[in-house]
Amino acid sequence: MDPLFYLADTLIFIGIFSLLSLSLNLEFGLTSLGNFGKVAFFMAGAYAYTLLAHAALPPYLCFLGGALIAGLIGLVITLPALRLREDYLAIVTLSFGEILRTVVKAEEGLAGGVRGISVPAVFHLGSSRADALANILLTLGCLALCFLLLQALAHSPYGRVLRAIREDEVAVKALGKNPVYFKASVLFIGSCIAGLAGGIFAQYLNFIDPTMFLPTVTFLVWMMLILGGAGNNWGALLGGVVVELMNRGTRIMKDFITLPVDPNNLQFIFFGLLVILILIFRPQGILPEGPVKTAARKEAQNWISSL
Amino acid sequence: MDLLVVDRVVKNFGGLRVLNQASLVVKKGTVTALVGPNGSGKTTLFNVIYGLTPADEGEVYFRGKKITRYPPYQIYREGLALAFQLPRLFNQLPIMDNLLLAAPVNSGENPLRALFTRPRWQEEERALARQAREVLELLELTPLALRPAGQLSGGQRKLVEIGRVLMAKPEMILVDEPAAGINPVLARKIYATLKKLQQEKGLTLFVIEHRLEVLFDFADYVYLMDAGRVVLEGTPEEVLAHPDFYTIYAGESRPWRVL
Ligand SMILES: Nc1ncnc2c1ncn2[C@@H]1O[C@H](COP(=O)(O)OP(=O)(O)O)[C@@H](O)[C@H]1O
Ligand SMILES: [Mg+2]
Repeated sequence: MDPLFYLADTLIFIGIFSLLSLSLNLEFGLTSLGNFGKVAFFMAGAYAYTLLAHAALPPYLCFLGGALIAGLIGLVITLPALRLREDYLAIVTLSFGEILRTVVKAEEGLAGGVRGISVPAVFHLGSSRADALANILLTLGCLALCFLLLQALAHSPYGRVLRAIREDEVAVKALGKNPVYFKASVLFIGSCIAGLAGGIFAQYLNFIDPTMFLPTVTFLVWMMLILGGAGNNWGALLGGVVVELMNRGTRIMKDFITLPVDPNNLQFIFFGLLVILILIFRPQGILPEGPVKTAARKEAQNWISSL
Repeated sequence: MDLLVVDRVVKNFGGLRVLNQASLVVKKGTVTALVGPNGSGKTTLFNVIYGLTPADEGEVYFRGKKITRYPPYQIYREGLALAFQLPRLFNQLPIMDNLLLAAPVNSGENPLRALFTRPRWQEEERALARQAREVLELLELTPLALRPAGQLSGGQRKLVEIGRVLMAKPEMILVDEPAAGINPVLARKIYATLKKLQQEKGLTLFVIEHRLEVLFDFADYVYLMDAGRVVLEGTPEEVLAHPDFYTIYAGESRPWRVL
């Protein structure tokens, strides 16, 4: 096989998973919102993209529409839980993932149910090598854009409020800010990004079906964030790269060594073990969170150094 | 002018009646003190005023407006700010950020503005940093500005808690035992500053204070609470001269049993 395709596949999957892990960083890393249904918003974006593409909308509108639809679903699903104790959000998101997959499986007319649905490709550049390159550029372009966006948010007064919510929600309320508004905006943005990742995924594979959206996707994304460093966008990115490469590594390994267990299962045992070890020995992840960097911090650094 | 009016507030915790028709008035521009034995319901009354604990009965008015069912963030926007008895700081964030979070206006806290009007909010952040510096100088915490709040001692935490309400620049502040855990010299300095803000800026202060000697110097008016209701009120001289004052003040307050 042409190594370009393997490279493209690796880079595109790194891009897709990094988008998911970055979105989880905004939700969990900064705001401590435990979204255990990441795959649902990814799936919503993938199916929304596909249906819009079948309605012959231009690709950029399909991506945008898919992201917005996933974002709105994220908002509507989580809003009732945001007023309650935090564990309700975990329950709601976790069950929504299962519900959405079950509904899509049962629904035959619109998106093919269990048989899945084909997705029109965006690029028809005449050669499959050119298409692969275009897909790499599209995915990494989206990743770069979202990364810059999230980095700008994290190092702004908005990002500071999110961290404050993580620390003490009552104190945030006492200082004149409504935590529900901030948490809702975070879940909207986070779900939009997950939805965009879903659109890229669907478009790249040209086919989706419900079995691609199992809870293991959510598990992998959490793994990436915890390993890379919750609270740090660079960490989320690094986690995406490392876990996706390990994931591929074990799949290649399977062809060369024979083990008494299926390496795909072994992989999850290994990942689970790794998460436990990280939580024990380096709970902040590979790249720990840094302070919020705004002009105010620079000012303070200036006066402290002149003391 | 009556700035804050508490009208017959009742609060039960299970079978305990912690506030039993508590009523009082804080006049604009005064330093008003709330004293009373441990467990008499002072902190609970502050929590009810600030919307942190819902009242079972009774009403709270601020500037003539009924704020009884308002959430705390809305009460803050009306011009009231509360410093907690037990500081609730954002432990992983620097002291600086703890103060900045208390600012009444910071346009970059809106996600769209955070992305699209960066030069504007950066300018605001610089201005807020200068305000925070004034607060830090006052509290003698300037060198620690970038330390995470979780690393502070108990007294320093209390100072940051008070610093936050000063950053908020409200019309009235509620401070629950400002001097607890702070060395006496600094405590007097904090009181002197609060007094100065009252005299120069017309700030209204409502404080819970244990130490009587402070009252004479700083308070214009005193309420004595016992078992969830206001039992004595007047100028510090009047209240402290009352024959029942010391028996109540030195006593153990037992909330009323209603069930
Ligand atoms: N959340 C709560 N649940 C049950 N009892 C409470 C609660 N908060 C306060 N109390 C009780 O209410 C009484 C008054 O407490 P508090 O208002 O803190 O008194 P003070 O500040 O005057 O010392 C005490 O007996 C206390 O134990
Ligand atoms: Mg108290």
